[in-house]
Formats: sequence, structure tokens, C-alpha cells
Amino acid sequence: MNSSPATTNASLMARGMTALREKGDIELYANVFVIAWAVIITLWQGTGFAVTLGTVFCIWAILSVSLNLVVGYTGLLSVGHIGFFGIGAYGMAILTSDTSYELLRTESIAQFGWPFFAALPVCVIAAGAVALAVGAVFNRFRDDIYVLVSFGFAIIAFNVFLSWRGLTRGAYGIRDVARPKIGSWEVSGELDFLILCAVFLLIVVGISWFLVSSSFGRVLKAIREDEQVAQVFGYRTTFYKLAIWVISAMMAGLAGGLFGSFTTFVDPNSFILLESMLLVSIVILGGLASIRGSLLGALAFVLLEEGMRFIPFLPSEFVGQARQVVLGVLLVLLMLFRPQGLAGRYKL
Amino acid sequence: MITRRFISYIGLTAIVLTFVFGLGCESDSDDPYRIGVMESLTGPGETYGTVSNQAKQLAVDEINAAGGVNGRMIELVVEDSKCGAQDAITAYNKLTDVDGVKIILGTSCSGAMLGAAPLAEEDGVILFSGLATNPDIATAGDYIFRTSMSDAQLGVDTGNLMWADGVRNVATITESTDYAEGVRRTTAAQFEKRGGQIVGEERYASDVTDFRTQLTKLLTANPDAIHIAAQSEFSGGTVVKQLRELDYNGPIYAEVVVVGATALEIAGDAANGVKAVVADLDPGNSTAQQVISSFKEKYDYITLAWYVGSAYDDVYITAECLKQTEDDQDADGFRDCLYDITWSGAIGSNYSFDENGEVVGLSNVVVQVLPTGERTGDNQGYEVLGPAPLE
Repeated sequence: MNSSPATTNASLMARGMTALREKGDIELYANVFVIAWAVIITLWQGTGFAVTLGTVFCIWAILSVSLNLVVGYTGLLSVGHIGFFGIGAYGMAILTSDTSYELLRTESIAQFGWPFFAALPVCVIAAGAVALAVGAVFNRFRDDIYVLVSFGFAIIAFNVFLSWRGLTRGAYGIRDVARPKIGSWEVSGELDFLILCAVFLLIVVGISWFLVSSSFGRVLKAIREDEQVAQVFGYRTTFYKLAIWVISAMMAGLAGGLFGSFTTFVDPNSFILLESMLLVSIVILGGLASIRGSLLGALAFVLLEEGMRFIPFLPSEFVGQARQVVLGVLLVLLMLFRPQGLAGRYKL
Repeated sequence: MITRRFISYIGLTAIVLTFVFGLGCESDSDDPYRIGVMESLTGPGETYGTVSNQAKQLAVDEINAAGGVNGRMIELVVEDSKCGAQDAITAYNKLTDVDGVKIILGTSCSGAMLGAAPLAEEDGVILFSGLATNPDIATAGDYIFRTSMSDAQLGVDTGNLMWADGVRNVATITESTDYAEGVRRTTAAQFEKRGGQIVGEERYASDVTDFRTQLTKLLTANPDAIHIAAQSEFSGGTVVKQLRELDYNGPIYAEVVVVGATALEIAGDAANGVKAVVADLDPGNSTAQQVISSFKEKYDYITLAWYVGSAYDDVYITAECLKQTEDDQDADGFRDCLYDITWSGAIGSNYSFDENGEVVGLSNVVVQVLPTGERTGDNQGYEVLGPAPLE
């Protein structure tokens, strides 16, 4: 029985695709196996350390997913996101900490004594309220100018944390930030806290997924591609930009609240501009306009950064600096070979 | 397809992690004593952290060269806390959970110390710092110790110094930062406690460069002396310079920032005779001089000499307590040893720890800035007059 050339080609292509798929499946299974192996060995070597890494991942993943909504989906390159993270963290610290430990009072520090779950919504709302006020001004800008004004916001936020001593205790920071408590059950264990953070991460991912998959998300993407065209089609782009900015800031405020409770100590050094740049790097590393990419970016970054602690044979006098150099080289290589990020489809 | 690529990258990371995690191994009684070190090796406190880490390594090399402790060597497991609470927590968990360390020397930043302290307290792990100065650390827990003096002590010593010098009324100018404000508060409180009077108070923001208006206002109160509490060397040096430009020739009192290298360069001749209370090594202390000499020889530089001495002493105190407990896993025994110990080392003689783990028996020293022609890198631009006077 003879077959036509077209049928033969189609058959060959189908077989080729099947082979590729099978090869890909093997690669997929192999990598899943390796990841599972690494996780098991990590847990076996040090459960507490692995749990800590998991918590750090969840917090940074919430942050990177939230920033990706603004940077990746809407095309607004903000380097001021750390400010909202700080508002959340300070909100949690101020509302829940008992500052009776103070030996050197420089200002009268207000005490509220709120529980974690009462303070957390306030952290989210506070970050959203500040974002609303700031966003109303930021909406006038785009591109390079947007980067500059968001840079300015990060600087202002840091200086407010440092200088408003009556509220933040300035450089001394606030310690004894409360851990979550439900009735008589206190989420004091590290594993409990990881589970709590993972739940919030799932919620944030769910909301983000819903947003970007909806018509709202499609307008955001249109704004990223060409805002004027979106306006011509009748969309009030300023409203959409402001809305996603506020939603993103609220998610960052949530991450900040979790961060404050996780570290139990909050000071301005955690919210310097460098941290903001780090966050943008995570989003780019994971991939712009990809929620899955933000998760992968946060995971890869936490694993890479903390994995540096295990590089052997470095001189102990310079071990910290040497690890940072290795990390920097790895990031540069990753960007060289994968400029669109791990899961991204767009470049800046 | 893209998904598989992502997982490939993660898989690669996982392989690296698996490899390095796999290097961990169980210890036995013949292994060295493993002591954790948590310093700010990168980040805002990098200068302090690196110096502290190097001083610790110097001390360990000396101890090991002399045969170790109970015939066992000491091994430092060094982690970077990056001067932040989050990184201190991950560093702490890596040290305790992966390396199995129970005694940690560090950290160099107070924020990192306060981030890790609740975990150490809960786990019964020693945190022993030579550099953190935040007053809040005093109440951080039963396993938390430090050989660094609290910022509050600085103010007390400055108040005593001014009173001992015959100053009876003083005007203060203070940078609006927590550190500087804390120093001013404790200085003023101690000075007034001794019977002195504060006749003027001015504050300035960190970005201000012209202080003449505030200084003129202070000088109209005709004070016996001016006290400067600064956070940045630039502002500290500029205040001194502008004070002299306003024809003020009376005494000036300050703390370490105002006699830093940059501040002295800005102030120039105007800084001659300025007195400051600083933590500094006693020139008459032979251990201190030997430590400075050894540090210079090993690393070919010296800076922050007091912090070098403090970190160095921490290791020798640790060795002494290990000699008693014979177990690097016995944190409770180590804690009890620290509460009982009286130590003489590079940073002072016969010092010990109080019920809060705070060092007692140490004092800051009084230094006086030398004329510009006599300032060198070795003398740091000032001469040490002696220990700060007690009440």
C-alpha cells in the first residue's frame, strides 16, 4: 500500500514529536526525581534548616508574584516594592510587639498588643492605602521616569522607617514581634509557620492567577504592549494601572506581615534599596509575566543563595565574600543563557 | 517544553545542593571542637564582621598551634549573617541544624543578633557576641552574652568624664538618629545625676551641612563645654569645624564617630584637643599590643582595634569554657561557665558577665585628638588619656 508524500511527512513528524515528547518526559521524570532526592537529603541533613528555607521561599514568592503583576504583566518597572513590604512588616511589629523590654527609651513608643491575625489585615490595608496615595501620582509616569519615581519611593520609605522613631524605634528596630495564635494554639513551631506561609502563598497565587486569566489581566497585558492603543479601545488605563498597583502592594504588605512575625525583629536594614533590586532580579530570573516563573525564580534564588553556604574548601576568613562572588557569577551565567528568565516569555 | 526546561534548571540546582549537603558527616569524640561563627561578612556590617571573623581565626590558629583544648583542635564553622534578621535566622538554622553546633560566636550586627536570639533561647544555644551594642540585647535571653559594651555605657562614661573635668553646664548638639540620640540621652542623664546642668539642646537631620545657626544659639547660653553626638563622621567633623569658626575655644566632648579618620580630616586643626569616650585597647595592656601585632602580621592591616581584641578574647574565653565542659554540645555547661568566669585579655582585665550576660568590669577610654602634625595612621589621630572615670 502506497502512501502520499504528505502523509509520510506527517507520519514522520508525528513519530518525531512522540520521540521528543518521550525524551522530554524522561527529562521531566529525571528532574523530578533529583528534586525529590535533594529535598529528602535536605530534610535528612537538617529538617529545621529546610523548613526555614521553605518559609523564606514562601515569603519571597509572595513578593515576587505580587511584583510580577506590576512589572511583568503591566510593564511598569517598579523598584519601590520593598517599601510596601516594609510597611507590612512594621505594621505587624508596631501592632503586636510589647516594647517593655526597652532600656533606652528615646521616644514614647505606642503599644497596641494586638494578636497576629488582627494585625495582618491592617498590614495589608495599610500597604494598600499608601499604594493608593502614591499610585495616584505614579500613574502619570511610564518607562524610565517610572523607575526613578519608584526608586524615590523606596528611599523615602526607608528613611521613614529610620527616622520616625516614635513609631518605629529607628535604627534600634522592634523586637518580640508576635507569632500567630489561634485560641490556645500558638503557631510557634517553624513547621507550623511554614504551613501558614504556604497557605497564604497559595491564596496569593490563586488570586494572581485569576486576575491575569481574566479580562482584567488581558487589559494589563495590552497596557504593557501599548498603553495608547488600549486607551483608543476605550479602556481607562489609569484605573487598571492603579488597581493592579494597589493589589500588588497589598500582597507585599501581607508578605511583610509574615516576614515581621517570622523574624520577630524588624529594623530598617531589611528594607534597603538593595533588597528591592534583589526582588526585581528574582522576578526577571523567574520570568516576566509568568506566575509560575515568579515561584521558580524565588525557589531558584533561595536555593542558590542558601546553597552557597555549602560550598566547600573556601578560606574561612573570606568565606562570605567568596560565596557572594560565586552567586553573582551563577546569576550572570543564568541570564546569559536564559535572558528571558526561567519561565518568561518577555525581556525587559 | 518550557516547563521541562524550568525543571531542568531547578534540577541542576538540586544536584548542586545534593552534592554539597552530602558532604555533611557525623562527628565523633576525636574530631575538633566545632564552634559556630556568625558574622556580617557581607552587607552593611561587612567591615566589622570581617575584622571580627579574622580576629577569631587568629585566636583559633594560636590555640591549635599550642596543642588545642584538652588535646582537641578548635574548628570554626563560619556563616554570613549579612547584618540582617532574616539571614541571621537562616545562618543560625544552618549552623545548629546541619552542622550541629551548640555554641555560636557572633553576631557583629545587633539586628542579626536580635533576629537569632529568640531561636537560640528556645533551643538552648549560646550566642556570644563581641560587637553588638544595641541596649535591647541585655534582655534578649539567658543564653545570650556579649563582650561588647552597650551604647548606654558610652553615655554614662561621657557624663562622668565631663563632670570629672570640672564642667558644670553643657550644651548638646545631636544628630537625629537613634544611636546619637541614645548617646545624648544617657550622657545628659548621667551628667545631671552628678549635678551638672544642660543649658542648651539642638538636633540636626543627617543631610544638613550647615550648623552655624544652631551652634550660635547654643553658644549664647555660655556653656562650659559642648557635647556632640553624631552618627556620621561627615556631620561630626563639620560641627567641630564650624564651632571653631564661630570662635568657640572651649572644650568639646564627643564619642567615637567625631574622632574617626574622616571626621578628623574634615575638621583639620579645629579638632585639636577634642576629647572623646571610645572603646579602645589600653596601650599598657601587653595582650592587646600582642594581638594588634599578630593581626597586622597575619593580615597586613589593622582597623577597629578594639573589635579585634573583643573577638579575639571571645575565642579564648570559649576555649577556657570548653576546657571545663569538655563538650562542645554542652551549651548549659558553657552558659554556667560564662556566668562564673572572670577574664583578663586584650580588651581589659578581670571582667565578667552579669545576670543578663552583659560584660561588666570593662570601661571605655578617654582619648584626646592630637595636633594635625602629630596625627598618624598608627595613633589614629589621638592619644589615649586613660580609662573613662567612674562615678
